[in-house]
Amino acid sequence: MKKLEKRYGRGEDSVQAVNGISFGADTGEIVGLLGPNGAGKTTTIKCISSLITPTAGEVRIEGRSIQNDPGEPLKKTSAVLEGNRNVYWRLTPRENLEFFATLQGINLARKRDDIRRLLSSLRLEKKIETPARKLSRGMQQKLALAAALVREPELLLLDEPTLGLDIQASRDMEHRVKELADDEDITILLSSHDMDVVEEVCDCVIVLQEGEIVVDDRVGNLIDLFRAEGYSLIIEGALDETAKNHLKGKFDLTINSVSRDNRTELEVRLAEPEQIYRLLEIVEEGGAQVISLDRKTPDLEEVFLNIVEGGENER
Amino acid sequence: MVSGPNLGNTIDGIVVGFFLWNFTLEVYSELSNSLIREAQWGTLEQLYMSPEGFGWISFFQVLSSFSFFFLANIGFLYLMMLTTGRFLHLRLGSTLPILVLVLLGVAGIGYFLGGLTLVFKRVESFLQIVQFVILALVMFPLESFPLIKYFPLAYGADLLREVMINGKTLSQFPPSDLAFLVLNSVFFFAIGFGAFKYFEGVAKRKGLLGHY
Repeated sequence: MKKLEKRYGRGEDSVQAVNGISFGADTGEIVGLLGPNGAGKTTTIKCISSLITPTAGEVRIEGRSIQNDPGEPLKKTSAVLEGNRNVYWRLTPRENLEFFATLQGINLARKRDDIRRLLSSLRLEKKIETPARKLSRGMQQKLALAAALVREPELLLLDEPTLGLDIQASRDMEHRVKELADDEDITILLSSHDMDVVEEVCDCVIVLQEGEIVVDDRVGNLIDLFRAEGYSLIIEGALDETAKNHLKGKFDLTINSVSRDNRTELEVRLAEPEQIYRLLEIVEEGGAQVISLDRKTPDLEEVFLNIVEGGENER
Repeated sequence: MVSGPNLGNTIDGIVVGFFLWNFTLEVYSELSNSLIREAQWGTLEQLYMSPEGFGWISFFQVLSSFSFFFLANIGFLYLMMLTTGRFLHLRLGSTLPILVLVLLGVAGIGYFLGGLTLVFKRVESFLQIVQFVILALVMFPLESFPLIKYFPLAYGADLLREVMINGKTLSQFPPSDLAFLVLNSVFFFAIGFGAFKYFEGVAKRKGLLGHY
């Protein structure tokens, strides 16, 4: 994807949903799209699936432009865009899958056994002849995934695939998504608000904010980056105002004080790890006794919040 | 130019007119209604992701609704003939080609309205108004309103009355009459389909395809 841009409307009331973003994905890679509401995640996914025409830029799937020649790229692409709303509720899972396979130009004669296997792999084999409207939400969502997979995609787009699912159904979905990339080499672009899902299944993560990419890195790298900067310092008593002001004035620090049991926890982010020594000196000079010092291990949610809030502060 | 009997004055005319009006109504509104349904179900975007393109899917949708409603309306026609005691000429070789051509133009109207549905969504009230325009085009006699032959449906309806009421066969029509019907139907189909593609582009630019 090169310099993709999407602006809705014209003039003063127009909204820049996506602002010149570029990224790519390798075969079998799972890329997570993260961002607050209105960041441009769904617009990006719909531009890739040719459902929205971008204002500028280009989307290429295996070298072919989706805008100029959508036929071939769409043969290799499928999407679950609205969770459980992507299937026909009056049709059974088998009928839905047969319909979507036919739509893709796939010969049903050679696909019937595959359809059964696909439904079994998603634990829907007992519901194969039950109308979709009678399935639970989790099962409907799995059916929507099956309807996307029956098209034999090389690129799978998942917009909020675990939205509205309970924990078990969400775990099942995560597990299956990971299998698809690992075992079947399907490239997956996944947008989600659920950081656990992204952290669990994605290889790379792209953070969008106001239509721009603010981070594009591997999940592990992001967590490492913030792990090195985060410390939790517990001191006896409260830190006096002079010491607090000194710390804030001396360093680029973020301090959250939580007093409990006559102790104060300072959550500190340092620009350089070496600053920890100066921090300890100032705390001791302020008369406080250090009880413990731990390096914090953030999860992706904290990383995401740091990035997004950091971005907002810079604006 | 051919001219049929005034439909308001004959039971035969009313039967043919009602048959054609009902049939065309079902065919042109089916495309809009199915677009509304698919958007509500969340499956419209899936259809748009078909590599063959939505144009082909909608074409076969129109074809299947034509076949289904043709059979249903033929049954309905026989029921009307039985209850009125007036039996019309139903030579399939003459009736069907004219009906197909009439419905080609009607499909154009269906595509135009389908395009409006993609962009404006709630067009049910507009569809209700259109059905009265269709009724006028089917019922008004060409001899009294000659200019309506340039509109969709009217000329074909007149030929159909000649076949079903007066028992004319296709070969008895001057070639110019049939050529005009073909041109009229192809023209309105092309206009309607072109408008649909235009509105489809607008819906994709505004991100409205899956909305309802």
